[in-house]
Amino acid sequence: MATKSIGQEYLKGLWDENPVFRQLLGMCPTLAVTGTVITGMAMALATTFVLIFSSLVVSSIKKLIPSQVRIATYIVVIASFVTIADQFLKAYFYSISEALGPYVPLIVVNCIILGRQEAFSSKNSVGRSLIDALGMSSGFVLALFVLSAIRELLGAGTFLGYQVMGPWFKPWIIMILPAGAFITLGVLLGIALLIESKTKRSQ
Amino acid sequence: MSLSSRMIIVLTTVGLISGGFLAGVAKLTEERIALNIQAEIEEAIAEVVDNAEVNQKVYEEEDLVIYRELDEEGALAGFAVQATGVGFQDKITLMFGLDASLTKITGLTVIDQNETPGLGAKIEDWNSFLQFWENKDATGQLTLRKPAARTPEELSAAEINTITAATISSKKVLEIVNLSLEKVRQLIQEGKIAKEEQDGD
Repeated sequence: MATKSIGQEYLKGLWDENPVFRQLLGMCPTLAVTGTVITGMAMALATTFVLIFSSLVVSSIKKLIPSQVRIATYIVVIASFVTIADQFLKAYFYSISEALGPYVPLIVVNCIILGRQEAFSSKNSVGRSLIDALGMSSGFVLALFVLSAIRELLGAGTFLGYQVMGPWFKPWIIMILPAGAFITLGVLLGIALLIESKTKRSQ
Repeated sequence: MSLSSRMIIVLTTVGLISGGFLAGVAKLTEERIALNIQAEIEEAIAEVVDNAEVNQKVYEEEDLVIYRELDEEGALAGFAVQATGVGFQDKITLMFGLDASLTKITGLTVIDQNETPGLGAKIEDWNSFLQFWENKDATGQLTLRKPAARTPEELSAAEINTITAATISSKKVLEIVNLSLEKVRQLIQEGKIAKEEQDGD
């Protein structure tokens, strides 16, 4: 792991170890709030904030934490940053916070965040943990963006709230319902695997 | 130092630092959050009662708040009723306006809802739902029009339009309004809401 360059450390989160498409983590927000691009991106950015700061804190205090209570400590750290994100959204982006509802507090149990602390930040330097958190967050942002853009476009005919489909377009209501989230994610996972197997074969 | 005392010290310290930090954040954001909620209510009132400048809370219980609305010159502009009730997925909080004589609904707006996106959530949408709530009869029970009418003119004064594919959410909104209207009428009879401003009030 230590042999990876900084660039590779960052890029692995985007594709090779993409939290959504390759690790299948963080499925709850991935499925629940990707009905529109705005809520999807707000969720992705809130998660990014929590992941980056949790990784920074955990990697800098990793030597002080006895391993028996490490998970409890990580959760306290993560929950603190989630609460900060929630309060901040309520204070400055009230309508987005209303739209995300209970899913902001639920970032606490997003496995991407706890997973990165356990798998990476607790074993690596502060700098590398930051790069890793940035990479994983970018991967999460990318995944949520693709998913929410497809769902909003097909489900409502809009993108970022602007009408892009002509009057001939009949919205596929199923796409903004939970079933649409599963269908879109399934198709995207299939495409990701297909690309993966194609590139492997050509190598 | 023994392991257990180290565990206790680490967890306690982390807990204390995070608690202190959060208390600070809560203090910093508290005021803005309260203002946001206040602004949301005032905005909702302005949407449903014309010329409302001054809001006076005249009645409050858990799921029902009634405001008397005065215009710029202090004359009665109408009433705004904020009501919460059960929706299809979660509670719905809405605000509707009543004219000064308490006989007509002047408009409706939704403050908070978690209905199905794209279907029930259209109760927030002006074109599919809210425009059909202007100038409705507030003296009796309102009923639902199904299948939906296309323009507000097709509906009678006691009829509310259904959102296509979201009948339950439409019905829930209607139930909340009907229930709160009943309560409002009861309060008028008991003399708890005065149509005219009372002396010494």
